[in-house]
Amino acid sequence: MTPGERAAAAIVVEDATKVIDGVTVLDGVSFSALPGRVTAFVGPNGAGKTTTLRAILGIDHLTSGRATVGGRPFAEHRQPVRVAGALLTPDAAHPRRTARGHLSVVAASNDLPGSSVDAALELVGIAGIAALPVGQMSLGMRQRLALGTALIGDPAVLILDEPHNGLDAGAIRWLRVVLRALADGGRTVLLSTHLMAEIEAFCDEVVVIDQGRIAMAGPLGHFIGGASMEERYLDMVEGG
Amino acid sequence: MRPALRAELLKITTVRGQWLGAAIATLALPAVSLLVAATGGVGAGDTVTSGAATGSIAGLLAFGIWAATVAAGEYAQQTMIVSLMTVPRRSVLYGAKLAAIGMMAAGGALVSAVTAWLVVWAVLPTGAHHTGEPFALVSVVLAIVAVSVLGMAVGLLSKSPAASASIVVVAVLLPKAAAGLLGGLERWVVGASPGTVITQAVGGAQLPHSQMFPGGAAAAALTMLLVATAVALGGAVTLLRRDG
Repeated sequence: MTPGERAAAAIVVEDATKVIDGVTVLDGVSFSALPGRVTAFVGPNGAGKTTTLRAILGIDHLTSGRATVGGRPFAEHRQPVRVAGALLTPDAAHPRRTARGHLSVVAASNDLPGSSVDAALELVGIAGIAALPVGQMSLGMRQRLALGTALIGDPAVLILDEPHNGLDAGAIRWLRVVLRALADGGRTVLLSTHLMAEIEAFCDEVVVIDQGRIAMAGPLGHFIGGASMEERYLDMVEGG
Repeated sequence: MRPALRAELLKITTVRGQWLGAAIATLALPAVSLLVAATGGVGAGDTVTSGAATGSIAGLLAFGIWAATVAAGEYAQQTMIVSLMTVPRRSVLYGAKLAAIGMMAAGGALVSAVTAWLVVWAVLPTGAHHTGEPFALVSVVLAIVAVSVLGMAVGLLSKSPAASASIVVVAVLLPKAAAGLLGGLERWVVGASPGTVITQAVGGAQLPHSQMFPGGAAAAALTMLLVATAVALGGAVTLLRRDG
């Protein structure tokens, strides 16, 4: 992807509404994530974060509204993993397939060269256990594999749902450095997490969702003011 | 479409249980036919071709269950999430799955049918049976592909390997088992069921007139393929519309 294409890529969610069995789980959600910025997407459990991320990726359908990646619905891209890489769960690889086998399937699905598999394994630090079945990997290793799946196409956009789960302190710092570097390189990073300290450490923007509605969206500095991220966040979602 | 198809084939070949399942399914038909021929189960009126097809129900069940469990396993193992993230155009994903399952089933069925014919020909006493029309074993390939496509669609519809495998077993065995309850529909339902389509095509075995499909073996095979296509379309529509 050229720098021009990378700059154009961004996530835009417009008036997204999702009703499941009569329950409105997303209610007119609108926000955007910009190139070169790490956008933290936060909210209590059940607020609608994962549903929103799945809708952006076309995994779940919106009842109304629209979500685009790089100016069009994600499904309309010819090589989607080059446009956006996503981590939604560390358990989305077949337990009996090896890490290399899993990434080979992903690479084949988007016509990526075989070298991209080795590069992804190296990047997330699991090249040494590439021949191990996924079912025999620890949660942290599976999380790294899921990150490798997201990064294999060198995408312009990264969508990560709680990528810190299962990572040890060293891996959390590694992820922070990697994501910051990717954003500084012009990529769009949208990150759902409950780790307020991580948000303060390297995120640029914050989008707060609560009960299916956007409670706040803007630069991190404006959001927290002189307080801590945790204080401001809890003030917002718990009313003090 | 081609990268997605390559990925679907790679999914099967990178999980031992899945390619082993296809291999076992390929062996099921010739193994049962060999057993029948070796134990004198091929009747005097049978040909080598109809003798080779005696194990076809085993082949139909094995391939159908394999296809159903492979497809439903995408949901059971949660790998559907990655499939939809990497091939988000669902029509392409579904088409690739259909083509991968269909190609593997067709290839396996062809090997099955040819192996079964050669094995039965080798086992039966020389000159005791006519060879029949080996080309009629194409019906075995068609029936196995139809049941595999049905299994795949049902697997994606139900999301459950156990439920979809059970549905395949019912679809293959129930028409004949419930023939007496079908009344005037018997020749249409049983006649177009996969096992009976093969029996009509290869001849030899005794098939009650009430189970002969109107219009003959070709019409029965065409109807079976139309039913499989309809179920496959149902699977496609469901995948296009459902979440996840």
